[in-house]
Amino acid sequence: MPIPLTVLEDRREARDERGPTTPPTEDVREKVFELEAKGEWLVHRVPEPWIGVTTKYGRTKKIPVARTWHHKSCGQCGHIPGYSTSIFWLIRKLGLDYNDPKDQTSCTAWNYYASATSNQGAQAAVAMRNFGAAYESGYFPMIHCGTSYGHYKEVREELVHSAKLRDEVRRICDKLGKPFVMPEEIVHYSEWVYAMRGEFAKKQVLDLSNIDVTVHPACHYHKLVVEDAIYDPDVYGGQRTAVVSAVVTALGANVKDYSTWFDCCGFGFRHILVQRDFTRSFATLRKIEVMQEEANPDVVLTHDTGCVTTLDQSQFAARAHNRKVGVPVMSEAQFAALAMGAHPYRVAQLHWHNTEYRPLLEKMGIDWKERWREFEDDLERLKLDNKAYMTWEDADA
Amino acid sequence: MPDSILVIGGGPAGLEAARAIASIGGKAILVERRDVLGGTPDESNYAALTPRMGSAQDALDVLRAGVVDPAIDVRVSTTLTASSGSLGDFAVTLSGPAGETTEHVGSIIVATGFQHFDPGRETQMYGYYEHADVITLPDAEKMLKEHHFVRPSNGEIPRNVAFIQCVGSRDRRLGNEYCSKVCCGVASKEAIEIRRMLPDTKVYIFYIDMRMYGFWENEIYWPAQEEHNVTYIRGIVTEIVGKDGRLLMKGEDTTMGRPLEVLMDVIVLSVGMEPSRGTRDVAGILGIDQNKYGFIALPGEPMDVVSTSVPGIFVAGAAAGPKDLEDTVGMAGAAAAHAVGAIRGSLRAGAGVG
Repeated sequence: MPIPLTVLEDRREARDERGPTTPPTEDVREKVFELEAKGEWLVHRVPEPWIGVTTKYGRTKKIPVARTWHHKSCGQCGHIPGYSTSIFWLIRKLGLDYNDPKDQTSCTAWNYYASATSNQGAQAAVAMRNFGAAYESGYFPMIHCGTSYGHYKEVREELVHSAKLRDEVRRICDKLGKPFVMPEEIVHYSEWVYAMRGEFAKKQVLDLSNIDVTVHPACHYHKLVVEDAIYDPDVYGGQRTAVVSAVVTALGANVKDYSTWFDCCGFGFRHILVQRDFTRSFATLRKIEVMQEEANPDVVLTHDTGCVTTLDQSQFAARAHNRKVGVPVMSEAQFAALAMGAHPYRVAQLHWHNTEYRPLLEKMGIDWKERWREFEDDLERLKLDNKAYMTWEDADA
Repeated sequence: MPDSILVIGGGPAGLEAARAIASIGGKAILVERRDVLGGTPDESNYAALTPRMGSAQDALDVLRAGVVDPAIDVRVSTTLTASSGSLGDFAVTLSGPAGETTEHVGSIIVATGFQHFDPGRETQMYGYYEHADVITLPDAEKMLKEHHFVRPSNGEIPRNVAFIQCVGSRDRRLGNEYCSKVCCGVASKEAIEIRRMLPDTKVYIFYIDMRMYGFWENEIYWPAQEEHNVTYIRGIVTEIVGKDGRLLMKGEDTTMGRPLEVLMDVIVLSVGMEPSRGTRDVAGILGIDQNKYGFIALPGEPMDVVSTSVPGIFVAGAAAGPKDLEDTVGMAGAAAAHAVGAIRGSLRAGAGVG
């Protein structure tokens, strides 16, 4: 009996471009511009040059290449500092202009999603305060944290649809002396990484063809305001968000599938606060162990603060019970930076990660012993020079 | 004043409309995009019709024979490319093998039908373009027609087969908030056929709620369970992933209120109906209103189920929304009567008889 080996190719070939004439959800960005035309607020335009990427229902989203204002993540800066450092390193390596502001406030969305505190007006005011600060700087906001990003998009919808909320928040911004500005796009850093993946590949110095990767898509990236997330027909047939996976492929590593990809990392916001054991169990038994059994990856890549932290820092507990865990976890920004020659300690700062990552570095062709020696020398030098921190010059960027 | 009626579409609705026009003394020009008549039932390899399992091709042959009539000018490989005029005298441009011609017709019947929902779209997490063993109702129909129901990935006989209902229908996130009417019956019919062909294969149907219209309840639904041991499970399937060379179906058993993860060999997606490209294109050319889903709008519902927003242009069959074959041919007859009546009324008015 002949086996029809080309069945999937035939299907794709025969596929009619028969999508609906209009996407099932409104394009909130049109409303943002309508409100500007009515004098309700200013719209912060995406600066030129930008790259057009495709979102879930086929719309184009503008991703700024440079002149970005970096809305950093509390958890990244606090727990995994090599995450944001790697993002900045990538930007600097491409010679692009950016702004690392000192006056950004926390989005406070974790409290909100954990049902802990805050209210609609306060949430929206924090978002608009930060957007106003970005506008004043002349740089376009780029959000490092998936939760801030998803939450700001929800806030945008609320502000667009509620004149009462706009009035309330406008008064607060007036009081703060901030302009009332909505960005043309709300952009997550991983969208910029996706858009620039070809540029990273050009500057890549490591061969990653033997590295197997599992990807955890962050819930707050692709499950909140779903129509604004990036999808690509070449990545899982356009059925999963393309960020991270497309970057892995562009860098020549191998994306490996596993059955619980859609599940939360375990962080869960409320769970991590009040039921941490549940978080630990979910992250390890439902995610890491399934990845191990089904894909046996060398590394897990994701694109949000809570996901990297939870997947990485939960594994020690399961290891104590002899479960099948022990896979290093990092962001795709750290992975891309390493691929381009970033220092694993000065830049990617993997020493802050919990799960054993050194076999991965060896497989990637990185001499971690020598790099660690260099890093210890750096620390000695800082002590001798009586300095508190390293500079970009130290990090070769 | 022209006395012909343009019928656009050579599927069941168009064939029956043209036949009915001729049977009551009218004249029709029947145009069909493909080079054969029969429409979607032919193009998508329908095998046995729901519910009585009669041959689809035999039924189509009867309809095709109905348009062999001197009063019907059948033109295959032909499409409508432009239209002007109004009731009583539409000038329509037809593009066919011999090039473009302009015809004058008194009225028009749109019978451009539906297309099956593309299960690779947007929120569909069923991996139709990733897993060869995830198939659609028409894919299953083709295998059943060939009496060869196997796993497309390796040609083996499946041990477990699951149908997932409402793929592309009743889905608010997708924007298709309507029921496609026939999928529950067709899935049950195919399930019976699989059980007859492969007695050792277990067949499951996962549904939101089964919608067995009219007599289908007793003709399909109960026999599937009582005589053929098809298992119906009320549940929502959220995702299909590959596991150990098989398909892991994940979702929720909504009766038991618990998560569901089962391994299957073949999963059949019960894809619903959407307006065909022909329906969307023709609506644009003729300037007739479409409803929010893209089907031809029927402003005179419920008592007038064939008049469109433009006087003199009528619609028959699934171009106006999901239909089974019985409703389609019934609607075609009504459209024929309205179209012939419109021309005669306009002729009388033109002659001052009013």
